[in-house]
Amino acid sequence: MNHNQQSGDAKNDDDSALSDFLASLMDYTPAIPDELVEHYLAKSGFQCPDVRLIRLVAVATQKFVAEVASDALQHCKARQAAVIKDKREKQQKDKHLILTMDDLSKSLLEK
Amino acid sequence: MNDGSLENRKEHEKSQKQSKSSKFRRKSDDFALAIRKVAVAQVCESVGFQSFQHSALETLSDIIVRYIYSIGKTASLNANLAGRAEANVFDVIQGLEELGSGLGFAGSSDVDRCVANSGIVRDIVHYVGHVDDIPFAYDVPRFPVVKEWKGMGSFWEKGEEPLGEHIPSWLPAFPDPETYATRSSAGNEMMSVSNGEKTELARVERKVEQSLLNLQQRFAHNGNEGGSSRDGGDNGRARKASLSNPYLAAPLLFGEKEVEVSPVLLPAKLLNEVALRNHVPENCVVGNHVSLLETFAPAIEAIKSGLCNSDNEQKKVLYNQRPLVHFKIGIGKKSLGMAPDFNSSKKDPGKIASWFGNDNEKDDQKRRAEKILKESRESSQERAQL
Repeated sequence: MNHNQQSGDAKNDDDSALSDFLASLMDYTPAIPDELVEHYLAKSGFQCPDVRLIRLVAVATQKFVAEVASDALQHCKARQAAVIKDKREKQQKDKHLILTMDDLSKSLLEK
Repeated sequence: MNDGSLENRKEHEKSQKQSKSSKFRRKSDDFALAIRKVAVAQVCESVGFQSFQHSALETLSDIIVRYIYSIGKTASLNANLAGRAEANVFDVIQGLEELGSGLGFAGSSDVDRCVANSGIVRDIVHYVGHVDDIPFAYDVPRFPVVKEWKGMGSFWEKGEEPLGEHIPSWLPAFPDPETYATRSSAGNEMMSVSNGEKTELARVERKVEQSLLNLQQRFAHNGNEGGSSRDGGDNGRARKASLSNPYLAAPLLFGEKEVEVSPVLLPAKLLNEVALRNHVPENCVVGNHVSLLETFAPAIEAIKSGLCNSDNEQKKVLYNQRPLVHFKIGIGKKSLGMAPDFNSSKKDPGKIASWFGNDNEKDDQKRRAEKILKESRESSQERAQL
Protein backbone atom coordinates (compact mmCIF):
# COMPACT_ATOMS: atom_id res chain seq x y z
CA MET A 1 0.00 0.00 0.00
CA ASN A 2 2.75 2.30 0.97
CA HIS A 3 4.62 1.47 -2.15
CA ASN A 4 1.54 2.13 -4.23
CA GLN A 5 1.04 5.45 -2.56
CA GLN A 6 4.62 6.37 -3.17
CA SER A 7 4.45 5.42 -6.78
CA GLY A 8 1.23 7.35 -7.04
CA ASP A 9 2.98 10.45 -5.73
CA ALA A 10 5.88 9.86 -8.03
CA LYS A 11 3.48 9.57 -10.90
CA ASN A 12 1.88 12.86 -10.04
CA ASP A 13 5.26 14.49 -9.90
CA ASP A 14 6.17 13.02 -13.23
CA ASP A 15 2.94 14.15 -14.75
CA SER A 16 3.43 17.63 -13.50
CA ALA A 17 6.99 17.62 -14.75
CA LEU A 18 5.80 16.47 -18.11
CA SER A 19 3.09 19.09 -18.31
CA ASP A 20 5.58 21.73 -17.25
CA PHE A 21 7.90 20.57 -19.93
CA LEU A 22 5.21 20.67 -22.54
CA ALA A 23 4.36 24.18 -21.48
CA SER A 24 7.97 25.18 -21.75
CA LEU A 25 8.07 23.71 -25.21
CA MET A 26 5.83 26.45 -26.39
CA ASP A 27 8.45 29.00 -25.45
CA TYR A 28 11.14 27.25 -27.36
CA THR A 29 10.99 27.43 -31.13
CA PRO A 30 12.68 24.45 -32.68
CA ALA A 31 14.80 24.96 -35.75
CA ILE A 32 12.63 22.56 -37.68
CA PRO A 33 9.41 24.39 -38.52
CA ASP A 34 6.16 23.05 -37.20
CA GLU A 35 4.53 22.99 -40.59
CA LEU A 36 7.14 20.68 -42.00
CA VAL A 37 6.88 18.27 -39.09
CA GLU A 38 3.13 18.36 -39.23
CA HIS A 39 3.19 17.61 -42.93
CA TYR A 40 5.29 14.49 -42.53
CA LEU A 41 3.45 13.33 -39.46
CA ALA A 42 0.21 13.64 -41.36
CA LYS A 43 1.70 11.62 -44.16
CA SER A 44 2.50 8.84 -41.76
CA GLY A 45 -0.96 8.80 -40.24
CA PHE A 46 -0.30 10.65 -37.05
CA GLN A 47 -3.28 12.77 -36.23
CA CYS A 48 -3.17 15.20 -33.40
CA PRO A 49 -4.60 18.64 -32.97
CA ASP A 50 -2.22 19.41 -30.13
CA VAL A 51 0.58 21.71 -31.14
CA ARG A 52 2.72 20.72 -28.22
CA LEU A 53 3.08 17.18 -29.44
CA ILE A 54 4.24 18.44 -32.79
CA ARG A 55 6.73 20.63 -31.02
CA LEU A 56 7.87 17.62 -29.06
CA VAL A 57 8.51 15.65 -32.21
CA ALA A 58 10.27 18.62 -33.76
CA VAL A 59 12.52 19.00 -30.75
CA ALA A 60 13.26 15.29 -30.69
CA THR A 61 14.20 15.43 -34.37
CA GLN A 62 16.36 18.44 -33.80
CA LYS A 63 18.11 16.68 -30.98
CA PHE A 64 18.69 13.69 -33.21
CA VAL A 65 20.16 15.81 -35.98
CA ALA A 66 22.33 17.65 -33.51
CA GLU A 67 23.69 14.38 -32.16
CA VAL A 68 24.45 13.03 -35.61
CA ALA A 69 26.03 16.31 -36.64
CA SER A 70 28.16 16.53 -33.53
CA ASP A 71 29.42 12.99 -34.07
CA ALA A 72 30.29 13.86 -37.64
CA LEU A 73 32.01 16.98 -36.40
CA GLN A 74 34.13 14.93 -34.07
CA HIS A 75 35.11 12.65 -36.91
CA CYS A 76 35.97 15.61 -39.05
CA LYS A 77 38.11 17.20 -36.36
CA ALA A 78 39.82 13.92 -35.63
CA ARG A 79 40.70 13.61 -39.28
CA GLN A 80 42.04 17.13 -39.42
CA ALA A 81 44.09 16.54 -36.29
CA ALA A 82 45.55 13.40 -37.89
CA VAL A 83 46.49 15.35 -40.98
CA ILE A 84 48.11 18.11 -39.03
CA LYS A 85 50.05 15.67 -36.97
CA ASP A 86 51.80 14.46 -40.07
CA LYS A 87 52.79 17.88 -41.28
CA ARG A 88 53.63 19.88 -38.24
CA GLU A 89 55.28 22.71 -40.07
CA LYS A 90 52.18 23.80 -41.77
CA GLN A 91 49.77 25.87 -39.84
CA GLN A 92 46.30 24.57 -39.37
CA LYS A 93 45.48 24.57 -43.02
CA ASP A 94 41.82 23.89 -42.92
CA LYS A 95 39.82 25.38 -40.14
CA HIS A 96 36.93 25.15 -42.51
CA LEU A 97 34.69 22.37 -41.27
CA ILE A 98 32.76 20.61 -43.98
CA LEU A 99 30.09 18.03 -43.45
CA THR A 100 31.09 15.23 -45.76
CA MET A 101 29.38 11.99 -46.65
CA ASP A 102 32.16 9.99 -45.07
CA ASP A 103 31.84 11.54 -41.65
CA LEU A 104 28.09 11.44 -41.84
CA SER A 105 27.98 7.78 -42.72
CA LYS A 106 30.36 6.93 -39.92
CA SER A 107 28.32 8.77 -37.34
CA LEU A 108 25.09 7.27 -38.61
CA LEU A 109 26.50 3.79 -38.42
CA GLU A 110 26.89 4.25 -34.74
CA LYS A 111 23.31 5.37 -34.28
CA MET B 1 25.67 -16.42 -67.51
CA ASN B 2 27.30 -15.25 -64.36
CA ASP B 3 27.94 -11.79 -65.69
CA GLY B 4 24.40 -11.45 -66.83
CA SER B 5 22.98 -12.35 -63.46
CA LEU B 6 25.33 -9.97 -61.70
CA GLU B 7 24.23 -7.14 -63.89
CA ASN B 8 20.61 -7.94 -63.27
CA ARG B 9 21.17 -7.92 -59.59
CA LYS B 10 22.93 -4.61 -59.71
CA GLU B 11 20.18 -3.07 -61.73
CA HIS B 12 17.64 -4.49 -59.38
CA GLU B 13 19.42 -3.04 -56.40
CA LYS B 14 19.77 0.25 -58.15
CA SER B 15 16.12 0.40 -58.95
CA GLN B 16 15.29 -0.56 -55.42
CA LYS B 17 17.49 2.15 -54.05
CA GLN B 18 16.00 4.66 -56.39
CA SER B 19 12.51 3.72 -55.43
CA LYS B 20 13.43 3.91 -51.78
CA SER B 21 15.12 7.24 -52.04
CA SER B 22 12.37 8.72 -54.13
CA LYS B 23 9.74 7.86 -51.58
CA PHE B 24 10.43 11.02 -49.67
CA ARG B 25 11.70 13.02 -52.55
CA ARG B 26 8.86 13.11 -55.01
CA LYS B 27 8.44 15.96 -57.37
CA SER B 28 5.39 17.21 -55.61
CA ASP B 29 7.43 17.50 -52.44
CA ASP B 30 9.88 20.10 -53.69
CA PHE B 31 8.83 22.73 -51.25
CA ALA B 32 9.17 20.47 -48.25
CA LEU B 33 12.49 19.27 -49.59
CA ALA B 34 13.85 22.77 -49.76
CA ILE B 35 12.57 23.66 -46.32
CA ARG B 36 13.98 20.65 -44.61
CA LYS B 37 17.37 21.25 -46.20
CA VAL B 38 17.39 24.71 -44.72
CA ALA B 39 16.33 23.41 -41.34
CA VAL B 40 19.03 20.74 -41.27
CA ALA B 41 21.61 23.25 -42.39
CA GLN B 42 20.66 25.57 -39.58
CA VAL B 43 20.97 22.84 -36.99
CA CYS B 44 24.33 21.73 -38.34
CA GLU B 45 25.54 25.28 -38.30
CA SER B 46 24.60 25.59 -34.65
CA VAL B 47 26.59 22.43 -33.94
CA GLY B 48 29.66 23.94 -35.50
CA PHE B 49 29.88 23.10 -39.17
CA GLN B 50 30.61 25.89 -41.58
CA SER B 51 29.77 24.29 -44.88
CA PHE B 52 28.26 21.12 -46.21
CA GLN B 53 28.50 18.79 -49.10
CA HIS B 54 25.31 18.80 -51.11
CA SER B 55 24.94 15.07 -51.00
CA ALA B 56 25.51 14.97 -47.27
CA LEU B 57 22.90 17.63 -46.70
CA GLU B 58 20.35 15.84 -48.80
CA THR B 59 21.07 12.56 -47.11
CA LEU B 60 20.65 14.05 -43.69
CA SER B 61 17.42 15.74 -44.65
CA ASP B 62 16.11 12.45 -46.00
CA ILE B 63 17.03 10.79 -42.73
CA ILE B 64 15.17 13.27 -40.60
CA VAL B 65 12.12 12.77 -42.75
CA ARG B 66 12.32 9.05 -42.14
CA TYR B 67 12.78 9.77 -38.46
CA ILE B 68 9.67 11.91 -38.29
CA TYR B 69 7.83 9.39 -40.39
CA SER B 70 8.72 6.51 -38.10
CA ILE B 71 7.82 8.48 -34.99
CA GLY B 72 4.46 9.29 -36.49
CA LYS B 73 3.84 5.75 -37.55
CA THR B 74 4.75 4.28 -34.20
CA ALA B 75 2.78 6.87 -32.29
CA SER B 76 -0.33 6.36 -34.37
CA LEU B 77 0.08 2.62 -34.01
CA ASN B 78 0.24 2.92 -30.26
CA ALA B 79 -2.80 5.12 -30.25
CA ASN B 80 -4.73 2.68 -32.38
CA LEU B 81 -3.70 -0.16 -30.12
CA ALA B 82 -5.11 1.74 -27.20
CA GLY B 83 -8.32 2.22 -29.11
CA ARG B 84 -7.90 5.88 -29.87
CA ALA B 85 -7.90 7.69 -33.16
CA GLU B 86 -5.85 10.64 -32.00
CA ALA B 87 -2.42 10.21 -30.59
CA ASN B 88 -1.37 11.11 -27.10
CA VAL B 89 1.82 12.45 -25.63
CA PHE B 90 2.47 9.02 -24.19
CA ASP B 91 2.15 7.46 -27.60
CA VAL B 92 4.76 9.83 -28.88
CA ILE B 93 7.09 9.11 -26.01
CA GLN B 94 6.73 5.40 -26.50
CA GLY B 95 7.49 5.89 -30.16
CA LEU B 96 10.62 7.80 -29.27
CA GLU B 97 11.65 5.07 -26.90
CA GLU B 98 11.23 2.50 -29.59
CA LEU B 99 13.41 4.52 -31.91
CA GLY B 100 16.10 4.95 -29.34
CA SER B 101 15.84 1.41 -28.09
CA GLY B 102 18.81 0.38 -30.17
CA LEU B 103 21.12 2.52 -28.13
CA GLY B 104 19.26 2.27 -24.91
CA PHE B 105 18.28 5.02 -22.57
CA ALA B 106 18.25 5.51 -18.85
CA GLY B 107 15.57 3.57 -17.09
CA SER B 108 14.73 1.20 -19.91
CA SER B 109 15.40 -1.84 -17.83
CA ASP B 110 12.95 -0.94 -15.11
CA VAL B 111 9.84 -3.00 -15.28
CA ASP B 112 7.29 -0.64 -13.90
CA ARG B 113 8.63 2.65 -15.00
CA CYS B 114 6.42 5.50 -15.81
CA VAL B 115 6.52 6.61 -19.36
CA ALA B 116 6.52 10.22 -18.31
CA ASN B 117 9.65 9.66 -16.35
CA SER B 118 11.52 8.00 -19.14
CA GLY B 119 15.09 8.82 -19.91
CA ILE B 120 14.20 10.00 -23.33
CA VAL B 121 12.02 12.75 -22.01
CA ARG B 122 14.69 13.77 -19.58
CA ASP B 123 17.20 13.91 -22.37
CA ILE B 124 14.96 16.12 -24.38
CA VAL B 125 14.32 18.38 -21.46
CA HIS B 126 18.01 18.60 -20.95
CA TYR B 127 18.56 19.44 -24.56
CA VAL B 128 15.91 22.12 -24.61
CA GLY B 129 17.37 23.69 -21.55
CA HIS B 130 20.84 23.89 -22.98
CA VAL B 131 20.47 24.71 -26.61
CA ASP B 132 19.89 28.24 -27.79
CA ASP B 133 16.72 29.06 -29.49
CA ILE B 134 17.27 28.97 -33.24
CA PRO B 135 14.24 30.27 -35.08
CA PHE B 136 13.75 29.00 -38.57
CA ALA B 137 15.10 31.23 -41.29
CA TYR B 138 11.99 31.58 -43.38
CA ASP B 139 8.40 32.14 -42.68
CA VAL B 140 6.75 28.91 -43.65
CA PRO B 141 3.13 28.96 -44.69
CA ARG B 142 0.84 26.09 -44.00
CA PHE B 143 1.27 23.43 -46.58
CA PRO B 144 0.30 21.51 -48.56
CA VAL B 145 -2.13 24.04 -49.77
CA VAL B 146 -5.46 22.38 -50.07
CA LYS B 147 -7.43 23.64 -53.01
CA GLU B 148 -11.05 24.09 -52.34
CA TRP B 149 -12.67 21.43 -54.34
CA LYS B 150 -15.88 22.65 -55.78
CA GLY B 151 -17.73 19.45 -56.15
CA MET B 152 -20.35 18.95 -58.72
CA GLY B 153 -23.63 19.89 -57.29
CA SER B 154 -26.08 17.13 -56.67
CA PHE B 155 -29.44 17.01 -58.27
CA TRP B 156 -30.99 18.10 -55.08
CA GLU B 157 -28.65 21.04 -54.67
CA LYS B 158 -29.25 22.25 -58.16
CA GLY B 159 -32.94 21.82 -57.98
CA GLU B 160 -32.92 19.62 -61.01
CA GLU B 161 -35.14 16.68 -61.43
CA PRO B 162 -33.12 13.52 -61.87
CA LEU B 163 -33.98 11.71 -65.04
CA GLY B 164 -35.81 8.64 -63.99
CA GLU B 165 -36.73 7.22 -60.67
CA HIS B 166 -33.68 5.06 -60.43
CA ILE B 167 -31.41 8.06 -59.93
CA PRO B 168 -31.45 9.40 -56.36
CA SER B 169 -31.33 13.11 -55.95
CA TRP B 170 -28.26 13.21 -53.77
CA LEU B 171 -26.05 12.03 -56.61
CA PRO B 172 -24.14 14.67 -58.57
CA ALA B 173 -26.07 16.07 -61.45
CA PHE B 174 -25.39 15.18 -65.03
CA PRO B 175 -23.33 17.67 -67.00
CA ASP B 176 -25.06 19.89 -69.49
CA PRO B 177 -26.42 17.85 -72.36
CA GLU B 178 -24.59 20.05 -74.82
CA THR B 179 -21.24 18.81 -73.66
CA TYR B 180 -21.87 15.21 -74.45
CA ALA B 181 -24.99 15.10 -76.57
CA THR B 182 -23.43 16.80 -79.56
CA ARG B 183 -21.55 13.75 -80.63
CA SER B 184 -24.50 11.47 -80.67
CA SER B 185 -27.02 13.97 -81.83
CA ALA B 186 -24.86 15.74 -84.36
CA GLY B 187 -25.88 13.22 -86.95
CA ASN B 188 -29.48 14.10 -86.40
CA GLU B 189 -28.68 17.75 -86.56
CA MET B 190 -26.93 17.27 -89.81
CA MET B 191 -29.97 15.70 -91.30
CA SER B 192 -32.17 18.56 -90.35
CA VAL B 193 -29.85 21.34 -91.37
CA SER B 194 -30.50 22.83 -94.74
CA ASN B 195 -27.92 23.88 -97.26
CA GLY B 196 -28.02 27.52 -96.38
CA GLU B 197 -27.52 26.77 -92.76
CA LYS B 198 -24.69 24.48 -93.64
CA THR B 199 -22.69 27.18 -95.28
CA GLU B 200 -23.32 29.46 -92.36
CA LEU B 201 -22.17 26.81 -89.97
CA ALA B 202 -19.11 26.27 -92.08
CA ARG B 203 -18.35 29.96 -91.95
CA VAL B 204 -18.75 30.07 -88.21
CA GLU B 205 -16.52 27.10 -87.67
CA ARG B 206 -13.94 28.45 -90.04
CA LYS B 207 -13.78 31.64 -88.08
CA VAL B 208 -13.37 29.87 -84.83
CA GLU B 209 -10.89 27.43 -86.26
CA GLN B 210 -8.72 30.25 -87.37
CA SER B 211 -8.82 31.84 -84.01
CA LEU B 212 -7.99 28.54 -82.39
CA LEU B 213 -5.06 28.06 -84.70
CA ASN B 214 -3.79 31.42 -83.68
CA LEU B 215 -4.13 30.46 -80.08
CA GLN B 216 -2.17 27.32 -80.70
CA GLN B 217 0.55 29.09 -82.53
CA ARG B 218 0.90 31.60 -79.82
CA PHE B 219 1.53 28.98 -77.24
CA ALA B 220 3.77 27.00 -79.51
CA HIS B 221 6.01 30.02 -79.91
CA ASN B 222 6.08 30.55 -76.18
CA GLY B 223 4.54 33.90 -75.93
CA ASN B 224 5.80 35.25 -79.19
CA GLU B 225 3.10 37.79 -79.38
CA GLY B 226 4.56 40.04 -81.98
CA GLY B 227 3.28 37.92 -84.81
CA SER B 228 1.91 39.72 -87.75
CA SER B 229 -1.78 39.72 -87.76
CA ARG B 230 -3.22 38.15 -90.80
CA ASP B 231 -6.82 38.11 -91.55
CA GLY B 232 -6.76 34.70 -93.04
CA GLY B 233 -9.60 33.89 -95.17
CA ASP B 234 -8.73 30.71 -96.87
CA ASN B 235 -12.16 29.49 -97.33
CA GLY B 236 -11.16 26.60 -99.47
CA ARG B 237 -8.78 25.24 -96.88
CA ALA B 238 -11.00 25.85 -93.99
CA ARG B 239 -13.77 23.94 -95.59
CA LYS B 240 -11.66 20.84 -95.30
CA ALA B 241 -11.23 21.59 -91.67
CA SER B 242 -14.91 21.28 -91.22
CA LEU B 243 -14.70 17.59 -91.91
CA SER B 244 -12.96 16.42 -88.78
CA ASN B 245 -13.08 13.05 -87.24
CA PRO B 246 -13.07 13.01 -83.46
CA TYR B 247 -11.26 9.70 -83.36
CA LEU B 248 -8.31 11.23 -85.12
CA ALA B 249 -8.17 13.99 -82.61
CA ALA B 250 -6.70 11.72 -79.99
CA PRO B 251 -3.11 11.56 -81.30
CA LEU B 252 -3.04 15.29 -81.52
CA LEU B 253 -3.93 15.71 -77.93
CA PHE B 254 -1.32 13.23 -76.86
CA GLY B 255 1.50 14.71 -78.85
CA GLU B 256 0.99 18.39 -78.41
CA LYS B 257 1.96 19.02 -74.88
CA GLU B 258 2.96 22.61 -75.23
CA VAL B 259 -0.19 23.62 -76.88
CA GLU B 260 -2.59 21.36 -75.18
CA VAL B 261 -1.68 21.72 -71.57
CA SER B 262 -1.28 25.43 -71.20
CA PRO B 263 -4.19 26.66 -73.21
CA VAL B 264 -6.46 24.25 -71.45
CA LEU B 265 -5.27 25.47 -68.09
CA LEU B 266 -5.48 29.14 -68.77
CA PRO B 267 -8.97 29.26 -70.06
CA ALA B 268 -10.08 26.96 -67.30
CA LYS B 269 -8.62 29.33 -64.74
CA LEU B 270 -10.24 32.26 -66.42
CA LEU B 271 -13.41 30.34 -66.67
CA ASN B 272 -13.19 29.59 -63.00
CA GLU B 273 -12.78 33.25 -62.23
CA VAL B 274 -15.60 34.14 -64.48
CA ALA B 275 -17.64 31.38 -62.99
CA LEU B 276 -17.02 32.73 -59.55
CA ARG B 277 -18.01 36.15 -60.62
CA ASN B 278 -21.06 35.18 -62.53
CA HIS B 279 -22.08 32.32 -60.30
CA VAL B 280 -22.11 29.95 -63.19
CA PRO B 281 -22.66 26.39 -62.07
CA GLU B 282 -19.70 24.07 -62.00
CA ASN B 283 -20.79 21.78 -64.74
CA CYS B 284 -20.52 24.66 -67.16
CA VAL B 285 -16.84 24.93 -66.35
CA VAL B 286 -16.41 21.27 -66.86
CA GLY B 287 -18.28 21.45 -70.09
CA ASN B 288 -16.08 24.25 -71.30
CA HIS B 289 -13.05 22.32 -70.34
CA VAL B 290 -14.13 19.38 -72.40
CA SER B 291 -15.21 21.38 -75.37
CA LEU B 292 -11.98 23.33 -75.41
CA LEU B 293 -9.97 20.23 -76.01
CA GLU B 294 -12.22 19.31 -78.80
CA THR B 295 -12.19 22.72 -80.31
CA PHE B 296 -8.53 22.50 -80.97
CA ALA B 297 -9.06 19.55 -83.20
CA PRO B 298 -10.62 21.43 -86.07
CA ALA B 299 -8.16 24.23 -85.66
CA ILE B 300 -5.29 21.93 -86.18
CA GLU B 301 -7.03 20.46 -89.14
CA ALA B 302 -7.09 23.91 -90.63
CA ILE B 303 -3.36 24.29 -90.14
CA LYS B 304 -2.78 21.01 -91.74
CA SER B 305 -4.99 21.77 -94.65
CA GLY B 306 -3.15 25.01 -95.01
CA LEU B 307 0.07 23.13 -95.50
CA CYS B 308 -1.11 21.47 -98.63
CA ASN B 309 -1.85 24.24 -101.03
CA SER B 310 -2.22 22.49 -104.28
CA ASP B 311 -4.28 19.47 -103.52
CA ASN B 312 -7.88 19.58 -102.80
CA GLU B 313 -8.53 15.93 -102.60
CA GLN B 314 -8.77 14.65 -99.11
CA LYS B 315 -6.98 11.42 -99.65
CA LYS B 316 -4.00 13.10 -101.15
CA VAL B 317 -3.88 15.49 -98.29
CA LEU B 318 -3.86 12.54 -96.00
CA TYR B 319 -1.03 10.85 -97.74
CA ASN B 320 1.13 13.90 -98.18
CA GLN B 321 0.86 15.04 -94.67
CA ARG B 322 1.36 11.85 -92.79
CA PRO B 323 5.11 11.75 -93.17
CA LEU B 324 5.21 15.41 -92.16
CA VAL B 325 3.60 14.49 -88.94
CA HIS B 326 6.36 12.12 -88.07
CA PHE B 327 9.22 14.36 -89.00
CA LYS B 328 8.10 17.40 -87.20
CA ILE B 329 7.48 16.03 -83.78
CA GLY B 330 10.78 17.09 -82.39
CA ILE B 331 10.66 20.69 -83.48
CA GLY B 332 9.24 23.48 -81.43
CA LYS B 333 6.43 24.10 -83.86
CA LYS B 334 4.69 21.07 -82.66
CA SER B 335 1.27 22.19 -83.58
CA LEU B 336 2.09 22.14 -87.24
CA GLY B 337 3.79 18.82 -87.15
CA MET B 338 1.15 17.05 -85.25
CA ALA B 339 -1.73 18.26 -87.27
CA PRO B 340 -3.85 15.18 -87.53
CA ASP B 341 -5.72 13.91 -90.41
CA PHE B 342 -9.36 14.51 -90.21
CA ASN B 343 -11.34 12.35 -92.45
CA SER B 344 -14.56 13.56 -93.70
CA SER B 345 -17.38 12.66 -91.50
CA LYS B 346 -20.87 13.85 -91.63
CA LYS B 347 -21.17 14.78 -88.05
CA ASP B 348 -18.62 17.43 -87.71
CA PRO B 349 -19.93 20.71 -89.05
CA GLY B 350 -22.96 20.55 -86.90
CA LYS B 351 -20.94 19.29 -84.01
CA ILE B 352 -18.44 22.06 -84.18
CA ALA B 353 -21.08 24.69 -84.48
CA SER B 354 -22.88 23.35 -81.50
CA TRP B 355 -19.69 23.29 -79.49
CA PHE B 356 -19.05 26.87 -80.20
CA GLY B 357 -22.53 28.05 -79.89
CA ASN B 358 -23.29 26.88 -76.44
CA ASP B 359 -20.62 28.19 -74.17
CA ASN B 360 -20.73 31.51 -72.49
CA GLU B 361 -17.08 32.42 -72.27
CA LYS B 362 -16.07 32.00 -75.87
CA ASP B 363 -15.21 35.61 -76.62
CA ASP B 364 -11.77 35.76 -75.11
CA GLN B 365 -11.08 32.28 -76.44
CA LYS B 366 -12.01 33.45 -79.89
CA ARG B 367 -9.70 36.39 -79.68
CA ARG B 368 -6.84 34.25 -78.58
CA ALA B 369 -7.65 31.62 -81.13
CA GLU B 370 -7.63 34.24 -83.85
CA LYS B 371 -4.19 35.35 -82.91
CA ILE B 372 -2.92 31.83 -82.99
CA LEU B 373 -4.51 31.13 -86.32
CA LYS B 374 -2.81 34.12 -87.80
CA GLU B 375 0.54 33.03 -86.59
CA SER B 376 -0.04 29.55 -87.83
CA ARG B 377 -0.86 30.86 -91.24
CA GLU B 378 2.38 32.70 -91.27
CA SER B 379 4.38 29.68 -90.25
CA SER B 380 2.52 27.46 -92.63
CA GLN B 381 3.49 29.75 -95.44
CA GLU B 382 7.08 29.51 -94.40
CA ARG B 383 6.83 25.78 -94.52
CA ALA B 384 5.29 25.87 -97.93
CA GLN B 385 8.21 27.94 -99.11
CA LEU B 386 10.68 25.54 -97.66
